[in-house]
Amino acid sequence: MKDLQLRDARLVFYQEDVARFDRILDELLKASEARTTLVIDRDGHMVTWRGDSPRFDADTVSALIAGSYAATREIARLLGEDEFTHLFQQGTRDNIHLTMVGDRALLAVLFDEKTTLGMVRLYVKEAAQKLEVVFEASRKRQEMGQDAGAPRDYAKQAKNQIDGFFDAIG
Amino acid sequence: MVQINFALREINCKVVYYGPGMSGKTTNLEIVHKKAPEENKGELTSIATDGDRTLFFDFMPLDLGTIAGMRTRFHLYTVPGQVYYNSTRKLVLQGADGIIFIADSDPDKFEENLESMENLRVNLAEHGRDISDVPLVIQYNKRDLPNAIESAELDAKLNLYGAPTFDAVARSGEGVFPSLKSLSALVLENISKVGSKGAQMRNQSGGAAGPVRPVRATDTAPGRPASPRTAPNRNAPARAPAQRRPAAAQRPASNPRPAAPGRTPRTDAATAVAAARPVVKPRQDARPNPKTGASPRSSSARHMVPTARPGVNINRSEHASGGSKIFIALAVILLLAAAGVASYMFLTL
Repeated sequence: MKDLQLRDARLVFYQEDVARFDRILDELLKASEARTTLVIDRDGHMVTWRGDSPRFDADTVSALIAGSYAATREIARLLGEDEFTHLFQQGTRDNIHLTMVGDRALLAVLFDEKTTLGMVRLYVKEAAQKLEVVFEASRKRQEMGQDAGAPRDYAKQAKNQIDGFFDAIG
Repeated sequence: MVQINFALREINCKVVYYGPGMSGKTTNLEIVHKKAPEENKGELTSIATDGDRTLFFDFMPLDLGTIAGMRTRFHLYTVPGQVYYNSTRKLVLQGADGIIFIADSDPDKFEENLESMENLRVNLAEHGRDISDVPLVIQYNKRDLPNAIESAELDAKLNLYGAPTFDAVARSGEGVFPSLKSLSALVLENISKVGSKGAQMRNQSGGAAGPVRPVRATDTAPGRPASPRTAPNRNAPARAPAQRRPAAAQRPASNPRPAAPGRTPRTDAATAVAAARPVVKPRQDARPNPKTGASPRSSSARHMVPTARPGVNINRSEHASGGSKIFIALAVILLLAAAGVASYMFLTL
């Protein structure tokens, strides 16, 4: 139960975390010659991305990727598998390779004919392990209560912002 | 779960519309999508059956604006209402930061409302959460039905957790935004509650987060790729010139420039190596996306290796030098052998 609660708590990423993610993703892009990589948290919020700018609404695709992976995990559970660690979606031009990073995030790699699934899979495994180290550090920080909350005057400003936003819509 | 991303200066929250089948969850989302300002909303995506019933979820991102320097975004989801789809409903519910329960005021749906609320409680419990700890708002929809159940009666049976309630006719838009506004306030209040003082100090003093860039209210998320709904940065060049790369190298990787129209040439080592290939097949997408008008590459210039090609050349020249030595050695051996043979023939004659 304690683990579940921890996993359901907030995720906080600092600039140094995202810089580490970016370095790992850049290395992955360089080695695999994939086009774009995204790190997405389990709930479908994008954490960071590198490479060519996605030609789609990244929020929507992140949400769909997370949903798709969640469904795949559920299928694995029903089939008696621990999980399907990799998920590959093949298109006529673009392909997506998904990998779980620990139990809190997903690594999505978009690639085209410039490289192959084998190349991507080869380097994704190593990248996922490196990313997991960063997520683990974040988790430990969280367990020790060292994570920052929202900025100090967030609550006060939030009320005004909400009033302004919804009053404008009417 | 809330994601607080100090690098992108974003706070992302997940809001789920829950309730029995056909109670009006998707209609609520459609109204939000229809009426929200263009610059604040993303696409409304539905994974639905042919009969327009939600199969997995509907989704739309909603940008509430910048609060205390943090761009605050809600990801709005609906769940499929039918009992049959409980497994997918549970998946969508995972990590929800707030829930709007849409109850149906039709007397025939009374039991379904109760079952759905109980189902919500059970599914949250399976995710290790107590329903009374989760921000919750209840909307009594279809108040325009002639035989609608009294709100007070619904409240007595359904609202066991003291949640704010709203009467609504979602089809006409009535009550949709008040429900969302109320939940937004609860969710954002919840965000502000957690976080130790030490951590707050750590954040504000730079600490692990590094110096926090002051963010203007008009700032867009620095690292987020352009979405079809996001206006492109008109100040940026249509195609980033190659000579700007060294300047880009000084930018922190975690705060890349916002997406600019046009496709930025690759700037990392992989690209340099790729460019050295004899045949570079142009990709079909090597043009700005007409829909978004933007598709730059935002690789960290920190990883740019402009000397990659010279490095390769150096290796090649070393290899050529070694080959020459071998060639000379072979020539000398052949000459010596020829001289030996000539000497032997001269002596025998």
